[in-house]
Amino acid sequence: MNIKNITEIQDQALQEVEAASDADALEAVRIRYLGRKGLLPDLMKQLKDVEPAQRPEAGKRLNELKNAFQERFEARKTELEKAPSPADKTTFDVTLPGSWRGLGKKHPITQLMERAIEIFHSLGFTVADGPDIETAFHNFDALNHPPGHPARDETDTFYLSDGDLLRTHTSPVQVRYMLAHKPPVRIIAPGRCYRRDTPDATHSANFHQIEGLYVDRQVSLADLKGDLTHFAHEAMGPKTKVRFRPHFFPFTEPSVEVDFSCHVCAGDGCRVCKQSGWIEIAGAGIVDPNVFEAVGYDTREVTGYAFGMGLERMAMVLFGITDIRHLYENDLRYLGQF
Amino acid sequence: MKVPISWLKEYVDFDDTPEGLAERLTFSGTEVEAIERVGGEFDGIVVGEVRTVEPHPDADRLTVCRVFDGSSEHPVVCGAPNVQAGAKIPFAPVGVTLPNGTRLKKARIRGVESHGMLLAEDELGLSDDHAGVVILDDPRPAGTPLSEVLGPAETVLELEITPNRPDCLCLMGIAREVAALYNTPLKIPKVDFKEEDPPAEERTSVDIADTTGCPRYTARILSGVRIKPSPDWMQKRLTLAGVRPINNVVDITNYVMLETGHPLHAFDQTLLKEERIVVRRARPGEKMATLDDIERTLTPETLVIADAEQPVAVAGIMGGAGSEIRDDTETVLLESACFDPMTIRATARRLALNTESGYRFERGVHVNGVEWASRRAAALMAEWAEAGIARGVVDVYPEPQQDWSVSCRWDAVRLQTGMEVSNDEIRRILESLSLSVTHADEAGCTVQVPTFRRDLEREVDLIEEVARIHGLDKVPTPSPQARIVPDAEDHRTNALIRLKSQLTGLGLFEIMNYSLVSDALLDLFDTSDREARLVLPHPISTDQSVLRTALIPQMTETLGRNHARQIDETRFFELGRIFRQGPEGHEEQEQLSIGLAGPTGRTGLGRREPVKPGEMFLWMKGLLGALFEAQRIRDWRMEAADFPEFEPGYSVSVVLEGQVQGRMGLMASPIRREWRLSEPVAVAELAVDPLLAHREDSITAQPVAIYPAVSRDVALVADESTHHEEIVKVIRKAAPKELENIELFDIFEDEAIGRGKRSMAYSLTFRSPERTLTDEEVNGYHTSVKKALRETLKVTIREG
Repeated sequence: MNIKNITEIQDQALQEVEAASDADALEAVRIRYLGRKGLLPDLMKQLKDVEPAQRPEAGKRLNELKNAFQERFEARKTELEKAPSPADKTTFDVTLPGSWRGLGKKHPITQLMERAIEIFHSLGFTVADGPDIETAFHNFDALNHPPGHPARDETDTFYLSDGDLLRTHTSPVQVRYMLAHKPPVRIIAPGRCYRRDTPDATHSANFHQIEGLYVDRQVSLADLKGDLTHFAHEAMGPKTKVRFRPHFFPFTEPSVEVDFSCHVCAGDGCRVCKQSGWIEIAGAGIVDPNVFEAVGYDTREVTGYAFGMGLERMAMVLFGITDIRHLYENDLRYLGQF
Repeated sequence: MKVPISWLKEYVDFDDTPEGLAERLTFSGTEVEAIERVGGEFDGIVVGEVRTVEPHPDADRLTVCRVFDGSSEHPVVCGAPNVQAGAKIPFAPVGVTLPNGTRLKKARIRGVESHGMLLAEDELGLSDDHAGVVILDDPRPAGTPLSEVLGPAETVLELEITPNRPDCLCLMGIAREVAALYNTPLKIPKVDFKEEDPPAEERTSVDIADTTGCPRYTARILSGVRIKPSPDWMQKRLTLAGVRPINNVVDITNYVMLETGHPLHAFDQTLLKEERIVVRRARPGEKMATLDDIERTLTPETLVIADAEQPVAVAGIMGGAGSEIRDDTETVLLESACFDPMTIRATARRLALNTESGYRFERGVHVNGVEWASRRAAALMAEWAEAGIARGVVDVYPEPQQDWSVSCRWDAVRLQTGMEVSNDEIRRILESLSLSVTHADEAGCTVQVPTFRRDLEREVDLIEEVARIHGLDKVPTPSPQARIVPDAEDHRTNALIRLKSQLTGLGLFEIMNYSLVSDALLDLFDTSDREARLVLPHPISTDQSVLRTALIPQMTETLGRNHARQIDETRFFELGRIFRQGPEGHEEQEQLSIGLAGPTGRTGLGRREPVKPGEMFLWMKGLLGALFEAQRIRDWRMEAADFPEFEPGYSVSVVLEGQVQGRMGLMASPIRREWRLSEPVAVAELAVDPLLAHREDSITAQPVAIYPAVSRDVALVADESTHHEEIVKVIRKAAPKELENIELFDIFEDEAIGRGKRSMAYSLTFRSPERTLTDEEVNGYHTSVKKALRETLKVTIREG
């Protein structure tokens, strides 16, 4: 070994580093020179055989070689890492389908229900619940349906053999809640209801409602309109208008039907709103004093408003659903749209 | 209810378009469902005179007529049974377009030329009647434009009357609303007529045996009656209102019913035994033929109008065939009465007999208006049926009703409606509704309520009247006020919403099934709960006759339905209630079901590989594990258990925190084959509440160890009967607390290992929270784990 020899080796090594075309080739070069059985450790071992006078110089040169090699090696490595691998670039098909599983979806009725809960939460309402199987007291008597009221008919209501029934609306939750709590009351009650309707495009044996009840001192129709307008703006857009039409329900007086301006045509008239510009959304009104008497509230102290809306109906309007039964068919392709 | 506007104007003047009126009515509580235009589009249609009628040579039901249109005769083939020579009939010549859009051309019908058409009511757009052609009773000659004969187009409002307003089931009731809305007076028809002796009470008698069923009954006697068609204007009004004209006497009773809301009935007096009336309940087994010629068996609940011997009418619903008005009837007993709504309703349901009369009595007829309606009908019969009217009326009304008073505070109106409305306006509105103010001061007023407004009993009822007439559009829209009720909380609702989000995050789609199912569906899965099922005594169909006792049957059905539609991969969940009869009564419980079908646990390629049962089972198990983890349930396990709906060996109970909370498994193949599901299907059903047990406020966070972890692998060969969980248990017991994680990373079966054996490879991770572990320490742990496995489970450890 001599100095010149070392210089040649250095030139050769650096050339090889430069010539390495990918990470594997570069690693092979590194191993050839710096590996445990590589050339450089071998030279280091030979150092003891060098003449003592030349030994320091040779040692220095070897160190320089090692440093130069390492420096160039690191530089080349960085270079190669930055450069895209030509092999991948040409062979990987980026148009292959991805392989992560997709998310599921909530049922459209659930989506609407949760949206409604979210909006009413922001107004300070909490959710109350009641059983699907109700007593005639909670479903009818306490809600001011006198005996013989047509809604109580076996042709309209599903009765069990013991006289209990499948609730025909979510309103019995009002009764249960008021019996258990003193005013003020500010609740919504989403839930499943049942009517003895022959199934067709707009009727199904069970459906979902969301009930609202606010009882406090001096609650008025104006409070009802303000709160439902907020709901309308949140649910159907900030330009939605709300109007009341007088109606009749046994458990409210005055009673109103609530229309929202059509979200599709903004009131001009279209197919969705049957050219009227308005969509019937809810039944509502001021709680009838007979209901308060049935639950032991003092009618001189409190008034309240109540409303109820059908979620299937709302879904049909919002999503353009043509047949209510599609909502219960549970075809993945259908559910995937929402 | 149909309200022809020209008829309505007989009782009230108002200056508005039909659309304007409809809007006012709708927004005051009388909803206008439709505005119909009737007639008027008669361009080119003329009065045709039928000259001859010959049978069609080639068709039994057709005739060949020659029709004169005022200038020439046309051959017309006609199918109407009532066509006859000499009749005047609306005739549409060739070239005319009918109101329904049909354009008439020359035609050959069964080989006979036909130039034009003789028209029925439906073809003219007058009604939907197609029983025969319209026979015109009009002196004008053939060729006269039909529009001159039938008059101009009519507008008819179709109204929906709410059940609290039976007083609006008539034209005068609607007129009262219109008068209040437009602030104009109501015009009440005159009811003057001459009376003759002997008085009514000498010619008949009325005996009410049941005054609950019939609080009031009046009978008036009309003699010398001549039965003939009623006048054209009356027939036309009845037709527009949807009532078929019959003869003058019957038409007048119907006309007065539509006008006043009082159903009336006319008997042929001479056909009543002893010419008298008894109102009573039917005797057991009593029978009667009603006007529709159906023999009906009556029950003791049925209220009937009887003569001295037998029933002659089902009270308030339909008259009897035996005493009906005939062409030769001369003496009429005119009934105007009031019957109990509940009694009428029950009878109408039982007999399945819905009539205009019954509909009104069911909702409640104004008891104090009974006599006026009778007089109104008598006046019309005097004018249009040449009737002589016996003096007076037999009026049995044992307990006359009086008007009552209701007070209303001015401020209460403004408070409950939120509307700005003055005391004077409140008073004006109440008075416009025929409520006379008997007292008023600064605080409020008292009104006298006439007996036809039985819905007005309390202050709130008056507030509603003011609100709807003043106009609900005047209710202001204040900014919404969030109001927090102290102590109200909604953790469960929020937890349920989160649960559903997690389920969709796991890739599941939510389904919704009906709560009502069939016995047959439930039986397919499990017959042991039959006693506990809640069955509806009066279902609509057997498909929906039982409340579901589990969600799995419909979940399986849903997987099957999707499979049948070639959807080969499905992942569903449903949240819903199940119902059963418990010892204490009905039980309802919120359940979660999950169903998987197809290669749902695979992503990427290789999805065409058939799904193996074990694979499907583990997908479901992994899914549930992820769900429990998300719900912070650490202590859960699955225990082998036999459920009848699951495949043996792939059937487990799900145990959460020591309690069985549900079941999971592969659907038994005989069941899934019902839906032609050929590959394994996994289903699970769990109670929802235990899933929500760990609230977010129950978390206490722990710092994590930051020292490096060291892993060691251990591979062993064991009998197939040595379960993974046993191996894990042994490892845990043998390892120190520094064991952080055990991961099974390979299972391998091969002849080389031996039959009934498998190789299982675990990676063990060790970490100390206090320091870096040395190689020597970890090797020591590894060695004791291997030793324990060898000694406890008799397994071979694979080295190298």
